[in-house]
Amino acid sequence: MKKFFCMVLAAAAVCLTTACGLGESVSDANTLTIMGKETDLNKSYMKSIFRQYEKATGNKLEIISFEDEEFETKAAEKFAHGEVPDVFMHFHNADLNQFDVSDHFYDLSKEEWVSDLTDGALAYCQDQEGHLLGLPFWENSVSGCYYNQTILDSLGLKPATTQAEFDMLCQALSDTGYTPLCWPADGCSWMIQFGLDPIFADNPALLEKLNRNEITYAEIPAVKDMVQWISDAADQGWFGSDFLSCGWSDISPVLGSGKAVMTYIWDTWFYTDFSLDGKYSVEDFALMPVFLNTTGNGTYEGGNLNMMMVNKDSKKLDAALDFLSFCASQENYNTAFDGIATVNCFKGQTTNIQSPMVTDASVSIAANERVSTAASRIIGYSATDAAAAFDSLFRKKTDVAGCIKLLDDYRIAEAKKQGAEGF
Amino acid sequence: MKKRFQKILPALLICTVCVVSVLIGIFYFHFISRQIYQDSSNHLEEIYGQVNRSFGAFVKRNWGLLENWGSRLSRPEASDVSAFSVFLADEQAYWGFSEFYFLSGDRACMTLDGVRGSMELKDSRDILASGSPVMGSETLASGQEVTLFAVPVPKGTYQGFDFDAIAISYSNEDMAKSLNVDAFSGKAKCFVIHEDGTVLLSTQTGGNVFENYYVYLKAASDLDEKKLSRIQSDWKKDVSGLLQCKIGGVSHCILYQPVGYQDLILLSAVPQNVVSSGFLSVQKTTVNVLLVIFFLLSASAITVILLRNRSQARKSRAELQYRERMFDVLSNSVDDIFIMLDAESFRANYISPNIERLLGIPVQDALDNLRVMEKCAISHDVVLPREEFESIPLQGNRRWDYEYRHQVTGEKRWYRMTVYNVSIQDMTKYIIVLSDRTLEQQMNRNLQEALDAAQSANEAKSNFLSNMSHDIRTPMNAIVGFSVLLEKDADQPDKVREYTRKISASSHHLLSLINDVLDMSKIESGKTSLSVECFSLPDLLENLNIILTPQAQTKNQCFTIRMEGNPPQQILGDQLRLNQILINLLSNAIKYTPNGGTISFVIRELPRPAPQYVKLQFEVTDNGIGMSRDFQEQIFSPFSREINSVTNTVQGTGLGMAITKNLVDLMGGIIRLKSQPGKGSTFTVELSFALPETEENNPGEQAEPVLETPNRVMEGLRFLVAEDNGLNAEILTEMLHMEGASCDLAVNGLETVTMFQKSEPGYYDMILMDVQMPVMNGYEATREIRACNHPEAMTIPIVAMTANTFAEDIRNTFDAGMDGHLAKPIDMNAVRDLIGRLIGQKHRSDNSVQKEEKNQ
Repeated sequence: MKKFFCMVLAAAAVCLTTACGLGESVSDANTLTIMGKETDLNKSYMKSIFRQYEKATGNKLEIISFEDEEFETKAAEKFAHGEVPDVFMHFHNADLNQFDVSDHFYDLSKEEWVSDLTDGALAYCQDQEGHLLGLPFWENSVSGCYYNQTILDSLGLKPATTQAEFDMLCQALSDTGYTPLCWPADGCSWMIQFGLDPIFADNPALLEKLNRNEITYAEIPAVKDMVQWISDAADQGWFGSDFLSCGWSDISPVLGSGKAVMTYIWDTWFYTDFSLDGKYSVEDFALMPVFLNTTGNGTYEGGNLNMMMVNKDSKKLDAALDFLSFCASQENYNTAFDGIATVNCFKGQTTNIQSPMVTDASVSIAANERVSTAASRIIGYSATDAAAAFDSLFRKKTDVAGCIKLLDDYRIAEAKKQGAEGF
Repeated sequence: MKKRFQKILPALLICTVCVVSVLIGIFYFHFISRQIYQDSSNHLEEIYGQVNRSFGAFVKRNWGLLENWGSRLSRPEASDVSAFSVFLADEQAYWGFSEFYFLSGDRACMTLDGVRGSMELKDSRDILASGSPVMGSETLASGQEVTLFAVPVPKGTYQGFDFDAIAISYSNEDMAKSLNVDAFSGKAKCFVIHEDGTVLLSTQTGGNVFENYYVYLKAASDLDEKKLSRIQSDWKKDVSGLLQCKIGGVSHCILYQPVGYQDLILLSAVPQNVVSSGFLSVQKTTVNVLLVIFFLLSASAITVILLRNRSQARKSRAELQYRERMFDVLSNSVDDIFIMLDAESFRANYISPNIERLLGIPVQDALDNLRVMEKCAISHDVVLPREEFESIPLQGNRRWDYEYRHQVTGEKRWYRMTVYNVSIQDMTKYIIVLSDRTLEQQMNRNLQEALDAAQSANEAKSNFLSNMSHDIRTPMNAIVGFSVLLEKDADQPDKVREYTRKISASSHHLLSLINDVLDMSKIESGKTSLSVECFSLPDLLENLNIILTPQAQTKNQCFTIRMEGNPPQQILGDQLRLNQILINLLSNAIKYTPNGGTISFVIRELPRPAPQYVKLQFEVTDNGIGMSRDFQEQIFSPFSREINSVTNTVQGTGLGMAITKNLVDLMGGIIRLKSQPGKGSTFTVELSFALPETEENNPGEQAEPVLETPNRVMEGLRFLVAEDNGLNAEILTEMLHMEGASCDLAVNGLETVTMFQKSEPGYYDMILMDVQMPVMNGYEATREIRACNHPEAMTIPIVAMTANTFAEDIRNTFDAGMDGHLAKPIDMNAVRDLIGRLIGQKHRSDNSVQKEEKNQ
């Protein structure tokens, strides 16, 4: 309420200033520039919050958007020319490093709304030093092992809670003729990071050493355990016979038809990409942790969130911080995310639609969820490169050690490309 | 057939042994498998019976413990919480349970540490309420699944918690340990399930994903409805069972036994290979040992067979090499070529090396392509007719004779190719033997030629006899016929003379016939030899002129002798034979040239082949009847006479030209003939003669003039006639008398010698000496006369009058010291000519002697 009051005052001040006829200069002073991807900025909840803000404050938001394909390049050029926007939207991933995060962006750790962030969202937006880089304002999701509960019930089976049980489950499903795990090897590269997350999220020191190039994947036994398990699973037919040609568009029909029983995906996928034409619907599915032999009890990966970061050198720093506070207001975000299928980023989120699968697995999620670490924190990590390394493994062009070496080589090469320290 | 059977017998035996061994192996394997399955089943039942009993004991033990502790709780000292806690902590450490719970009827529970919670207990709660102990699964608030053992106890209160039952829990992992079957290396799944298949607990390490094993079995196994119904029935009736099924394609043994509490069933699912691993190991080892033994025996047998075969092969190879070597050596020493040809490929398997020596074909070339032999064959394009080879019956043979040309020397030789069709180790082969038959061919050819010659000779003899019969009978007929007429018309002098003249002509013809026949016979028998001596060519020509000119004159022919060049006067040669040759040619020319014709005889000296030799050409040309081309080809054959209107009127033996040709050949010369019918003929004879060392040839010297022989040359002469044959003596006496001469007769040589020695010098003018006489022959008598001291011993002419008319005979007469030779029957013209010449010579000799005496 206090916050709301402050905001109202701020808005009133803005209105007053405007009303005093400061003219164009005043108007410019209250126009915030927001830079981001075109599709990201066009999300309905983003447009909603922008509208709310402008309406509530009378301030203007100048949207600087770039097409998705050229976003990174053009944004980097702007930054290089000193044209840093007041608010910059970007995911917390390796690409963010090129924008010199610590030099450009304001540490939001001390903002009032921080306490309203869910643990997962907060963790995602923090850097390694614990600085809060931005306000997570995005569709959140939980990545885990989504399985067909109906099929499991029909087979007298129940979901796994441990890696050993998951192995049993895969074998039991395989014995009944089902493909246990839909692993779309062709172009779908996100699964690897689920296995790497526990290794580095649970051991930040190890991540630091890796990012300083003081250690490689090859020297980390858990990485070998993961690659070996994936290799064995593929050899045992747990991914099906044609998984090498299976891609993103195949996941839905494979799961919907019941050909495969499980896959590693995120909840929102079921509302955006899962087809209802199949034998099974979203109601038939449930959630259990991802098991990639890197943690005994499995893991969930929190969502990849778009953050709104504030230019610490902006002449409109306060207005930008106020804009973030406006977005983090419970009323405002509930208005923006009304009817949007997402896992909560804010504890006070109530109007969004949360997947029953996530709700049902909330206890397990709470116990085993980890921040997306591999994709966002490992310097030089590229999901595409990781997929390429595993493609060589699956096609028997290399062995487990060779696959790990490829993962290392790609990672190190990318880190060098980025000019990362230590590489 | 029997041989073939014997060949395949070892292979059949080996196959039979193998088949029997395999069948025994299969039978044994099945037997062992059944036995192993039985033993495995028993073993499995035994193990899980033990597990079941242990599990039952474990359950009862836990219940017993709980009951003991319940009793303890009902005692007053239980109020001492700390003491009970210590006691229970010791018990927990000893028995290994996870947690102790106080349970209340309202599903509440509390741990020994006072932590309160809730406990569902599901169906077990009613049982517990009924006063019976229970065992069940429970999911704790933490999500952990545990197995709970609970017993009802008297109501009590512990740390303010009212309880009516107590329980202990085991984590599923701990429970699994109590059921785990180490005998199967952890590969067995063991469950405690309810009769509907719901899993109460499982022995799997790391957890359990089977919620209802019956449902899973139904979905994952190949069990049919009947068996599944049986399982359900068994489970409901607490009946044990054992069955086999496939789960995920792997054979499993499913064993179930009632636990003996509630509806619980101990179920185990063990992969068949795990169950039977021990037995299978024995079976595998046994089979392996048997296989090893079998393979060792097989390997030994095969090794022995191979070694034996190798040894035999080596022996056979050595023998083959030895035979081949021997055959090579043998074939090199014979003139037979041996070839072994494969009937199917028609390629040579073996060719004896002497093919190179005998045909000039390198062995390798022939091995590469036997058709190279066809290059050697003369007038045969194909010497290896495959189709004809194939028509040769097995074990049969066929022969061909070919003439081959040696590829290096070009020598031609005949070979007989004998082809044998044989079967060697079920393969058809042609064995070809090429045998040198050149000598045989030559012999056959010679024999054929000899046969032809003999036939020809026989034919010639027949012809000869036929001719002779005709030619002899013809004059003989005249002689006999006119002799009869002579006797009849003896008183008519004209007829007598006419008859006598014709008898005489016939006699001369008969005589010349006999002479030619004898001469020819002698030439052909090879008994003729040349007598080389120095003679005068002009004398020879003079004699010819003397002899032939009268004959030509009788036909009004122009006969000329011309000498071209400057031939030598004296030459070395056989004068008689040369004379005979030329007389024959000239006589024929006169004979076959019509009246008034021209006969020219030209003698030319040809370029000398060497300084000591002279080559003379004698050319006789006439413009007579000539002869056909066909007859020219056979004119030099005996008894050849052209049949035409002219020759039929001319007497001849048909031997003259054959004798002439033979004599020319004998003298190393050549004779040529050019003739055209109706236009005449030209015979050319070329002969070489040696020149005497002291040549006295004087080209300018004129030949001695030919003396005219007077018709009464013998008139008044006295002859001493030596003749043993009275008839001949009488004829000669009469003839001499007819010539106006007289004679004395001696009947042998000795008498002749005696009569001469006794005679006065000049009493006899000449001695006519027969050669073949009794007591002393004419030669001896002549030598005696020449050797005697009679004053005319060396000068008196002695003339042989003999039937021995050959040149040798004539030569012998001269050698014996005679001065002339007259052949019987006596030709008075010849007698007259010779005597006239000898008397002339004698007179000249006498005159010269008188002159010498006067000069002296």
